[in-house]
Amino acid sequence: MHSKKISDYALDTVIYVILIAMGLSTLLPFITVLSKSVSEEWAITSGKVNLFPVGFQLDTLQYVVTNHQFLHALLISALVAVAGTLASLLITAMTAYPLSKRELPGVGIIIILFVFTMMFNGGIIPNYLLIRQLDLIDNLGSLVLPALISVFNMLVIKSYFESLPPSLEESAKIDGARNYTILFRIILPLSGPVLATIGLFYAVYYWNDYFNPMLYINSTSLKPLQLYLQDIVMNADSSSFKMSAEDMMNVPAEGVRAATVIASTVPILLVYPFLQKYFIKGVLIGSVKG
Amino acid sequence: MKQMTKVLSIAASTVVLASSLAACSSNSNNNANNAAASNAPAATTDNAAATDSNANLPTLKRLDVFQGEDYANYPVAKLLEEKTGYKVQYDMLPQDNPAQKLNLLMASGEPYDIVTSYIDMALYSDYAKKGALIDLTPLIDQFGPNIKTAISQQSMDALKVDGKLYGIPNIITYPVGTGILIRTDWLDKVGMKMPTTTDEFQAVLQAFKDKDPGGNGSQDVPFTIKGDLPMIDDLVGAFGMPNPWNDVDGQLVPRVLDPSFPDYANYVAGLYAGGLLDKEFVVNKDATAKEKFSSGKAGAIAIHWADIPGVSDALTKAVPDAKFTYLPALKGPNGKSGFGANKGFDRLSFIPKSAKNPEDAIKWINASLESNTFKELAIGVEGTHYTVDNGAYMPILPIFNDERNLANNYMVGTDEANYPQYWQARVHKNPVMFEAFDTLNNKTADSDKILNELSVAPYLENYSKNNLKLETMSGDYTVKLIAGGEKIDGLADFQKKFNAEGGEASAKEVNAWYTSK
Amino acid sequence: MNRNSRWKLALSNWDMYLLLVPGLIFLLVFKYTPMYGVVIAFQDFNIFSGIGDSEWVGFEHFQKLIHSDDFFQVLTNTLLISMYKIVLLFPIPIVVALLLNEVRKMLFKRSIQTIIYLPHFLSWVVISGLFVTLLSPTDGLVNQIIIAFGGKPISFLQDNSFFRSVVVFTAGWKEIGWNAIIFIAAIAGIDQEQYEAASIDGAGRIRKMISITLPGIMPTIVLMLILRIGSLLEAGTEQILTMYNPLVYDSGDVIGTYVYRMGLGQQDYSFSTAVGLFNSLVGFILIISGNMLSKKFLKRSIW
Repeated sequence: MHSKKISDYALDTVIYVILIAMGLSTLLPFITVLSKSVSEEWAITSGKVNLFPVGFQLDTLQYVVTNHQFLHALLISALVAVAGTLASLLITAMTAYPLSKRELPGVGIIIILFVFTMMFNGGIIPNYLLIRQLDLIDNLGSLVLPALISVFNMLVIKSYFESLPPSLEESAKIDGARNYTILFRIILPLSGPVLATIGLFYAVYYWNDYFNPMLYINSTSLKPLQLYLQDIVMNADSSSFKMSAEDMMNVPAEGVRAATVIASTVPILLVYPFLQKYFIKGVLIGSVKG
Repeated sequence: MKQMTKVLSIAASTVVLASSLAACSSNSNNNANNAAASNAPAATTDNAAATDSNANLPTLKRLDVFQGEDYANYPVAKLLEEKTGYKVQYDMLPQDNPAQKLNLLMASGEPYDIVTSYIDMALYSDYAKKGALIDLTPLIDQFGPNIKTAISQQSMDALKVDGKLYGIPNIITYPVGTGILIRTDWLDKVGMKMPTTTDEFQAVLQAFKDKDPGGNGSQDVPFTIKGDLPMIDDLVGAFGMPNPWNDVDGQLVPRVLDPSFPDYANYVAGLYAGGLLDKEFVVNKDATAKEKFSSGKAGAIAIHWADIPGVSDALTKAVPDAKFTYLPALKGPNGKSGFGANKGFDRLSFIPKSAKNPEDAIKWINASLESNTFKELAIGVEGTHYTVDNGAYMPILPIFNDERNLANNYMVGTDEANYPQYWQARVHKNPVMFEAFDTLNNKTADSDKILNELSVAPYLENYSKNNLKLETMSGDYTVKLIAGGEKIDGLADFQKKFNAEGGEASAKEVNAWYTSK
Repeated sequence: MNRNSRWKLALSNWDMYLLLVPGLIFLLVFKYTPMYGVVIAFQDFNIFSGIGDSEWVGFEHFQKLIHSDDFFQVLTNTLLISMYKIVLLFPIPIVVALLLNEVRKMLFKRSIQTIIYLPHFLSWVVISGLFVTLLSPTDGLVNQIIIAFGGKPISFLQDNSFFRSVVVFTAGWKEIGWNAIIFIAAIAGIDQEQYEAASIDGAGRIRKMISITLPGIMPTIVLMLILRIGSLLEAGTEQILTMYNPLVYDSGDVIGTYVYRMGLGQQDYSFSTAVGLFNSLVGFILIISGNMLSKKFLKRSIW
């Protein structure tokens, strides 16, 4: 008993040391950006801001956060992310459930049809023409509908459904329950961890999506946060051959860019800690069965 | 049952949200009206009479380059609405890869009345040839007297595609952009004069390295540049190659094929090998190079004058008694010197075939180019936004910054005779920047401002198609030469490859134009 | 199973197919309808002429890609970097998930989980800038440590023998936390009864990790690995673009960066589609083969 305890301590120590080292190193870039967002511009330009802010000030952050355009874009993004995530989760789970039943005729071929689209796509122009034909240009629907199902996410959910013991469904079937009832009443309530994970993936996708809004949204009033962010943060020198002196004089200061990154990343970062209770609880399948 | 209710309520809220998405969006036309409606009151109350007479003017739809602030709410938009009588709904292209979005919008026939973008002759000429643009000549003849006065014949001719004019240009307002900024207080400390030749420059850098005037010890960088610009302005001029293509015996020749190229590469490679050029320049991004100079570690930097305000602010905080100025045009071993000087255009506006109101668009452009309107658009009202001092336009701050900083984004064409003068008010916003600008542009002898012939060339197909690739190849190769990744003996092989990748085809085409000009 | 009973099975589960309807409509409308666009890889596509009127050029764009001087080098770099990333980086998030699972202090566990996923949300421009500073031969932290231990400073980002390692390391570091999420969730999905039973048998923590947790998340691991292999030709274009310079093209130039750098894809829709199609084809073949191998040796299949 005694020896076991010592080895336990040793194991714990190793684990904690590794995790803390990783935590510290991954915290580094975020702290750098954070420090820049609250430092004086001259200190950033001359490379003095690394870990700690130099010349602490909150004006930049305040300027960014109270900016009318920023707030508007934030609202649009939140709307798209919430609606998109819920719709995607629903449809993805509905699709994944039948596809987890390999014995059903046609399921194999349908999965291949889905997997095929992970690799092959028509490209920018046909997609644009499609969205245009559906009259979704400059419509927030264009940000959600083409992304409703991510095949990757669908496969993850499907794989999870497959791992559930078949006995769960069998008893319900004997009671005469229909498949959709089983999905919504028995399967989904047991899928907390995977739904939380995929929900997070979808939320992050919708939040971070830059490409679709760039293509499909024209009006300033419908631009989501990433589009706004990209315009502000875009590396000033990557397009320098096209920049006139005018544009160079108007490039947002490094501090403003850092503050914009912080202000637009923090909301999505908060989603994960909120979802973590679904990861930690674990599932007591046995208790449900019994 | 409880679970089921939960799931159902989630599904229901999804539907509600989805429909609110649909309600929130609308097709672009409705949106135009909404936007105009919400912005209108401020403008209309000011000038009720104008609004009355213009009651049935259409709202114009304009596509423009990216700017950080909302187009519709910037003061210039209001001014233009008053002066032209037209309401305009503005959309903007993204900052990143604007050409991609522009292509899609043009190809799908979005009904923009005016489109303004960064100059891209290949794109413009493609649009024109594919019949996507409206021929402006008859419209300008009929509705555009001010356009004719403002834009020179020369500019119009440069934009003709197959003899027809499809675009209105904004001219470039200054010839020289980048030079080498040097710390004059370091010069004093090491007891040397401002260098005037490449040899003297090298000697100064050596002194910077040996005598440590910055007091940073081994961290001193005598001279820093950013990694993707190995053709250093001023120095290339000293070797007779101030521009990407230079006249060699009556023919235009790209730098890597220029007979002086090996001398230039050897000179800069020598600086690098001797520790005079930043040892880490290859990994320097724009910000890294600036960082080294503005923290007081670097003695010299190749930099555009428009970048100076930020660098100068930071440097004076870090080293309060720091002083700097641009080097003059250095003389090379063969007595050559000079800066590359650009003419030509930086923006281009056109009217797509799909425009609903082409006549009104021209009328709007015409009204905006009326000489007083244009002046007010460019620099505002005398006494409010600027003052005139010795014939120079001086901005009144901060109102000039708040209300005219982004004015150039609203221009469709420029009053070419006067704009360069108005424009200098912008440079006066910062005295340090103005001094630098002045040194490079106004105080440099005309003989040292060497025209980049290709900046005024018409559209050249092969050249346009290959230019970016060839520039990248040359730049990468030169970086390797400087940093010792390649030996100059291999130049002939590289030149062969360069020619095969389109260098030869471009040269033929460029010189067919150049020699017949 | 014969035809008849298959029909019966399908019929009796008609509502399963009903559940599939929204997904299939989505697939048809948003994925397969635009698929005709791949033909522009075989055209000299002009956006104003459209697909109908653009000129057909056969395999010209593919030849242009494959016959360019540097293609062999670029393909080698792509495969090397990508394989290093898979072999070295794929297992790390699994290990991290397993370690996190051993942590009992919930607050610590949640904090670490959240912290290590932070870098995923920062763009490569920001991350690369940080590493350029850390790895600088004159004043970078890493080299100061090397010097303190009596070594000579290394120009990591300018040296062909180090560059790929830097790329692999930084990519791993940026995505560890993010990639671990899915395994953390998979662990949470394992039936807790198994652990209780093992405890009664007197199994130690390490044994439980190896004999319960690892097998429990094996399906997820296999799925992730197969999908990861499908993107073998994507070695990290955005990352490398922000990190490399001409001195390390020999080791760091990959297909994506090469195409970008040469301006080959810029507004040249046909060429970029051809490159994309080449990547897709290779990726699809790899996914199919990966799935076959998995079916044969691990008795697991995606479909």
